[in-house]
Amino acid sequence: MGLPRRLIRGGRKDGLGEYEFWALNDLSFEVQAGETLGVIGPNGAGKSTILKLLFHIMSPDKGCIDIAGRVGGLIELGAGFHPYLSGRENVFINGSILGMKQREIRKQYASIVAFAELAEFMDMPVKNFSSGMYARLAFAIAAHAAPDVLIVDEVLAVGDVSFQLKCYDWLAQRRKNGKTTVIVSHDMYAMAASSRCLYIDGGRMQSIGEPRGVIDAYLARSRQARGGEGRKTFVPGKDGKARAEITQVEMLSGGQAAETIDPGENLLIRFHYNAHEPITSPMLALSLFHADGRFPITTNHYLFHVYSGDLLKGQTISGQGVLEVEVPDVHLPVGNYRAKTYFFEGHATNLLFEHDGAAWIEVTRPGYSDGRAMIDHRQNWRVPVKATTT
Amino acid sequence: MQPTRDFREVLSYRELIFALGMREVRVRFKHTLLGVAWAVIMPLSLMALFTFVFQRVARVETGGIPYPVFVYIGLVPWQLHATILNQSARSLVDNRNLVTKVYFAREVLPLATVLSALVDFCIASLLVVVLMAVHGVSPGPGIFLLPLVVAVQLALGIACALILSGLNLLYRDVQYVLQVLVMLWMFASSVVYPIPTTGLASWLTWLNPMTPILDAYRTLILSSTIRLDPALAVAAAISLVLLFFGWRWFRRVERRFGELA
Repeated sequence: MGLPRRLIRGGRKDGLGEYEFWALNDLSFEVQAGETLGVIGPNGAGKSTILKLLFHIMSPDKGCIDIAGRVGGLIELGAGFHPYLSGRENVFINGSILGMKQREIRKQYASIVAFAELAEFMDMPVKNFSSGMYARLAFAIAAHAAPDVLIVDEVLAVGDVSFQLKCYDWLAQRRKNGKTTVIVSHDMYAMAASSRCLYIDGGRMQSIGEPRGVIDAYLARSRQARGGEGRKTFVPGKDGKARAEITQVEMLSGGQAAETIDPGENLLIRFHYNAHEPITSPMLALSLFHADGRFPITTNHYLFHVYSGDLLKGQTISGQGVLEVEVPDVHLPVGNYRAKTYFFEGHATNLLFEHDGAAWIEVTRPGYSDGRAMIDHRQNWRVPVKATTT
Repeated sequence: MQPTRDFREVLSYRELIFALGMREVRVRFKHTLLGVAWAVIMPLSLMALFTFVFQRVARVETGGIPYPVFVYIGLVPWQLHATILNQSARSLVDNRNLVTKVYFAREVLPLATVLSALVDFCIASLLVVVLMAVHGVSPGPGIFLLPLVVAVQLALGIACALILSGLNLLYRDVQYVLQVLVMLWMFASSVVYPIPTTGLASWLTWLNPMTPILDAYRTLILSSTIRLDPALAVAAAISLVLLFFGWRWFRRVERRFGELA
């Protein structure tokens, strides 16, 4: 970048320089007053750039942005918090940064403190706050500063479950009150609650519209991108390789490989395993996780789980084998599911191998139980191919 | 560039300027034993140092004014100026997390630094009264014109603050070069000795706005008649022109700050 250009125009120019790229290109959309627009896409898609453009932090090199009304942003919680200053002092500074008048802050102060549930800590320097307290205070101020158009970036991801639920409630309340919000999040639950979703990838718009469809398109793409690979972790044996592994897992319905499983259908899960070393009392298991994050509290909890239990208890196996389980009358809520397989040793005491994303399956049709999951399914285990037992 | 609209925008952030300025003041004195006293100790110890050097080692002619009074009245406004230069140059860089995460008129950050420097200036000024009483110097009638001089100095200070903070974001060299430049500027101004108004060095009076500004403080406080040097008018003109163009430039590059910080 030439010195004069940089000095005179702050580096603005038409062509691309070294290490520069178009973060966003050919992107046009409108958000109506009172709408909540969710922006989704993989990392590096340009989501944060959109927010920074809407929030005037950056200005576009080409194109234009029109916003009616005052924009407020929640790109970082507690921007301008000073660690040495007390909670009270920081409320007044941060509130001011978020565009509140001092009089307004004084009026709302009690309410902010109550929302943050930090009444007895307000005179303490925030450097002594736990990260949860810090986030609660910061969010409480932001919630009270809420402007007509709010830009939110991922900030809801911080904090514990009860804090997250509070954030969701607050967002829902905003929507009910007819306030406009543009929100970026990887949490598809929050996104599904918005009025429309915008899916971008590589700086370009992929689709925009009713959340369910856009989210599904995004998940289908990211599932494709992740492919059959998944993520394997294992306990290494003497040669550094896995002591035992589940090489393949098949999900079958009506004798065929199942892409989808609808309520009431029977599911047959077949494990192909390989014990490279003799393993005593092995146990195999599989869980299904809801991949859309439609259940915020359960993102780390399975909705479906099978395990071979006592089937091979007391036996020592080595070599290849097959194990299968039939689950009749499966009932799962609509959505995409990611399978995770486990290989245990000594019944369930020692996890030797796990494979997250070993398979995918989708429930497309809602059943009578939609909204609830039947976790306690019947399981009929069989041993079609037995590994060498000693 | 629409000056009135820009001005109104910056003005609408006055509470934020105040909040951030006071944050700086509070933070500066947190975790210090002497607290606010530092605002006085700094110019006072410099006064002691310069009094030793320029009265004992080299004799400086100050026109009948006791040297400690002469130098302290020079040092207090100079400290204000030097603090503005050094601190505001860093203001945008040091508040990177604000510049890249929150939107407000970017002038707020350098202006908040100017405000916090002004607080120190006010505290240190109180001691001028004590010092004059000790040395038996009575104030002149021009003392009521002092706000005018302060205004000229602030125009110059804000102009420098805007230009330097923006420049420092483009090139961090600025904050290092400044430390030397500020020192040079001090010795080119009538801080610790008077600058001759005639002869070779007289251009320092006309081209360096700080010299007439500092001289005006002394004349207004100490002289028995109201007298303002025409050089102060030149200094005011230079400051205002610098403020106008400096601010225009700041406005133009400001839109890139979010990426540069």
